[in-house]
Amino acid sequence: MSAQQNPPRTWTSLGNVRLSDALRGVVLTAGALLALIPVLWTVLGAFKSPTELAARPPAFLPDSWALTNFTEALTRFDFGTYLRNSVLVTILATVLTLALNSMAAYALAKYNFRGKNFLFVLTLATIMIPLQVILIPVYQVVAGLGLVNTLWGMIIPAAATPTGVFLLRQYMLSIPDELIEAARVDGSGEFRTFLQIVLPLCTPALAVVAIFSVMWRWNDFLWPLIVAQSADVYTLPVALARFNAEETVPFNLILAMSVVSIIPVVIIYLFFQKQIATGIANTGGK
Amino acid sequence: MTTTLIPLSSRPPMKRRGRGTWGLRLAPYLFLFPNMLIFGMFTIWPAINGFNMSTYASSNGRTFKPVGMDNYTTILSDAQFWAVARNTVIYAIAFVLISTVLGIALAVLIEKQKRFKVFFRSVFFIPVLISPVVVGLVWGWMLERQNGIVNIGLSWFGIGEVPWLVDNGWSMVSVIGVGVWMQVGFYMLILLAGLQAIDPTLYEAARMDGASPWTQFHSITLPLLQPSVVVVVVLATIHGFQSFDFIYTLTGGGPVGATTLIVQYIYENGFQSPIRYGIASAGGVLLFVVVFLITIVNWLISRKQEAV
Amino acid sequence: MARLRTRLLSLVAGLGSVALLATACAPGQTTGDAPKPGESVDPASFAGQTLNYVYFTDGPDEKGTRDLIGQFEQKYDVKVNLEILAFSDLVKSVQARLTGGNAPDVVRLSSLSEFRDDLLPLDPYTGADFKNEFLPGPLSAVTNDQGEMIAVPSDLTMNAPFINVDLFNKAGVPLPDENKPWTWDEMMAAAKQVKDATGVPYAFAMDKSGHRLSTILSEYGTTLVGPAGNTLDTAAAEAALGPIVQMMKDDQMPRDFWLGSGTKYKGANEIFLAGDTPIYLSGNWQVGQFSQNAQFNWAAAPNPCAKECGGFPGGKFMAAFKESKNPALAAEFVKFMNSAESQTTFVTAAGSLPTRVDLNESGVKYADAKTQAAMDVFAAELGRTPQADFATNGHPAFSGSATELVNQVSAVVAGNTDLHSAMAALSTKIDGLVAETKH
Repeated sequence: MSAQQNPPRTWTSLGNVRLSDALRGVVLTAGALLALIPVLWTVLGAFKSPTELAARPPAFLPDSWALTNFTEALTRFDFGTYLRNSVLVTILATVLTLALNSMAAYALAKYNFRGKNFLFVLTLATIMIPLQVILIPVYQVVAGLGLVNTLWGMIIPAAATPTGVFLLRQYMLSIPDELIEAARVDGSGEFRTFLQIVLPLCTPALAVVAIFSVMWRWNDFLWPLIVAQSADVYTLPVALARFNAEETVPFNLILAMSVVSIIPVVIIYLFFQKQIATGIANTGGK
Repeated sequence: MTTTLIPLSSRPPMKRRGRGTWGLRLAPYLFLFPNMLIFGMFTIWPAINGFNMSTYASSNGRTFKPVGMDNYTTILSDAQFWAVARNTVIYAIAFVLISTVLGIALAVLIEKQKRFKVFFRSVFFIPVLISPVVVGLVWGWMLERQNGIVNIGLSWFGIGEVPWLVDNGWSMVSVIGVGVWMQVGFYMLILLAGLQAIDPTLYEAARMDGASPWTQFHSITLPLLQPSVVVVVVLATIHGFQSFDFIYTLTGGGPVGATTLIVQYIYENGFQSPIRYGIASAGGVLLFVVVFLITIVNWLISRKQEAV
Repeated sequence: MARLRTRLLSLVAGLGSVALLATACAPGQTTGDAPKPGESVDPASFAGQTLNYVYFTDGPDEKGTRDLIGQFEQKYDVKVNLEILAFSDLVKSVQARLTGGNAPDVVRLSSLSEFRDDLLPLDPYTGADFKNEFLPGPLSAVTNDQGEMIAVPSDLTMNAPFINVDLFNKAGVPLPDENKPWTWDEMMAAAKQVKDATGVPYAFAMDKSGHRLSTILSEYGTTLVGPAGNTLDTAAAEAALGPIVQMMKDDQMPRDFWLGSGTKYKGANEIFLAGDTPIYLSGNWQVGQFSQNAQFNWAAAPNPCAKECGGFPGGKFMAAFKESKNPALAAEFVKFMNSAESQTTFVTAAGSLPTRVDLNESGVKYADAKTQAAMDVFAAELGRTPQADFATNGHPAFSGSATELVNQVSAVVAGNTDLHSAMAALSTKIDGLVAETKH
């Protein structure tokens, strides 16, 4: 980018940097507070006892910062195993999702072939199927394949996320054809073109799909519930759901577990932040 | 350096030429195959089975009694179903409109922001990461009429108690609000990725031509952001119609059915005594058809606009 | 436009042919082979086998179950896999497993409606006398039309009011005698007196549940359903629910609590724990939590009497599946878990009531004095409860009727309708549900 004397990319009619920056700051901060306060409430609640949670009006800060809720929740069940399963399923599913979705998206975005529109519409349509209706039929398929009660049974079926295909396809539409044509003329095979030219350009979209996949798989509850049978295959959300259905719901334990559950995802999200920011480094021919 | 970036869909289809035409023709199918295989086995085939169930009556998912279109006639003549349908449409429309506009606004603001950019980008996404059940739980506490912190906060400004969750109208407002809160970070992220793809030199050129910021937004940002906006609208529509988890925790569908949406209707028929799989399935088919039609219309309209 | 049309047409054609294909294949039926009952089962033959027990927990009962499982595993040299889920999820999971031919062996249930036809009749394995070891009320819920036991009632719950003793003392209002319970009018007058004297927000609170409402209905002499079908006496129901609805309209009872959670169950234990109400109608499962967390003196009181005394029962069941791979072992496990010693271990851990005749007569010793005092009250209430209530609780249409009861009461509280019309609508709905769940 050429150096500019005064680069005010602002929108106020006066071109006054300060005013618009301040306004924007205020709006964003207000929004951030709105987004954060419930999260803060959750975290604070994780340190409160059931009586404190039941108090009306509720106190803002907990009586003590002791970790009793956390230790109690974690000792109620086999936390280590559930954590391990959640981690494995999430990572493997995300890798699989990125691979499958990006290939499918590439085909739908950059080729013209018979059945393209039909398949694209079909992909879109699968997002609209309510999960509750297919729960039992899916189980029958999984059982038929012998994947019940296995981690792969939780990883594979949901890996072909239609939303991921949809997002990546839209993004790939804006990759200029000249790059691909140039590679072809240079003698690069289709797959190599895909791998070496197209994928690196999709980093922001891939990062987005990766984050979504991590989030979905990590929080996914219905699917592991149905596939898993024995406790050594359960994931964290299944355990969380158990608390919710006890006769006297231990809200303090639920909050503690939720807080523990969120931390890894937040970390991964922050890790992927950079990838989204990269954007397309150059435009036009590389 | 090329100066314009024309979306692919508006260009004529690429000509196939060069060696390896056979490989070229096969390539798309090969790329698609693994994904479609899994789709087919684990989503499409079960969906066909699931939808098929709508022409049967079953209370245990194993023994079926064929009833033809009876399930559909039962549903369509059930006053409760129409109330649920109305609630769903209201929610979905509000949800899509508000999240899309808010998403664009947030993405644009953050993109322009210089300081604490990473902080703001992360902050709005955190609500998306929280499990819907916990969202319903925590907002349920915060929106309590007498002691929820929202009303306590409002009282500082002299505003009286708002019956957020126990009044028919306000409960819908609350549900929409919480729904948007929970999802807008998701859409903002997609739009942000789309914003990144816009060539910054376009703005420079426009500014040098004397275009005002609003004109820049209107004639550069919005049109080039369109593919992402379409994605967001389509996804928001689908998410809107399928909302269930957090609403169920937040209001249980109350008060007295004011916030019961279609998926809750399906859920109660499929998993709560007395179990009526056929009805649940028929409800699922209806939901699918409606969302499908809306999305297709959405999609075709946007295709037409892209072609201009 | 023409291109669009052809594209749409081909799309529709594609989907249509797929749909045609689907309708040609009707969904499958799985056949469950009825296992042959063993003539005499040699315990040694069980050695080395595995049993899957799908279970849901309310918290404190888990330890009791695990201890008992340990004993069983040692006795027969078998392995029992305890799979714990939330109850609503348990239903989904077991339904899925039954369709996939992957049934568990034993299950703990809160209601028999969902799996009634899949449960293994236990009589051939346990002997015909086994059923006589259980109280007639709970037994009626687990007996099918052929007189066979399709499940064992494993523990019993009872509803009754909890009292905030400190508040009553502060207001100077006397508590009822254990052997001479209040009438409803007396109880409500006392509650309002305490509220006015102490300034707490509410006079009365109860869980938002059709089950709890049935307690009040029972005391006024009517139930929702029974062996005869719809047994609702709408006049009695109006008399029963009138005061409740009025209290909510007068803000003597928490109104928002009732309206704010739709059709879902919600417990008002937090309101009681916060000291906001002198009387709270709930059940014995709260005893453990109150013992631990209450910051004031509390006690369980006998149910108020109107036409009848006593409360309304609930309970859990243990059952085996017909499709279990090892029905004999499954039945043996169910029998073991509900022997006198086992039930004693379980109910003391869980804080619930026994279902066995011998334990009911001898009484059960609970962990601490506070729990003992409360549980004694509940046990006494068991004796006062009309027998018909047990059959009501076990009726397949009860669950749906209870939900509808809550809906109608909510509608009245919200001002959408009046109590008279609501009860009439409820009765109509019950008719439909009874017809639908008929076997």
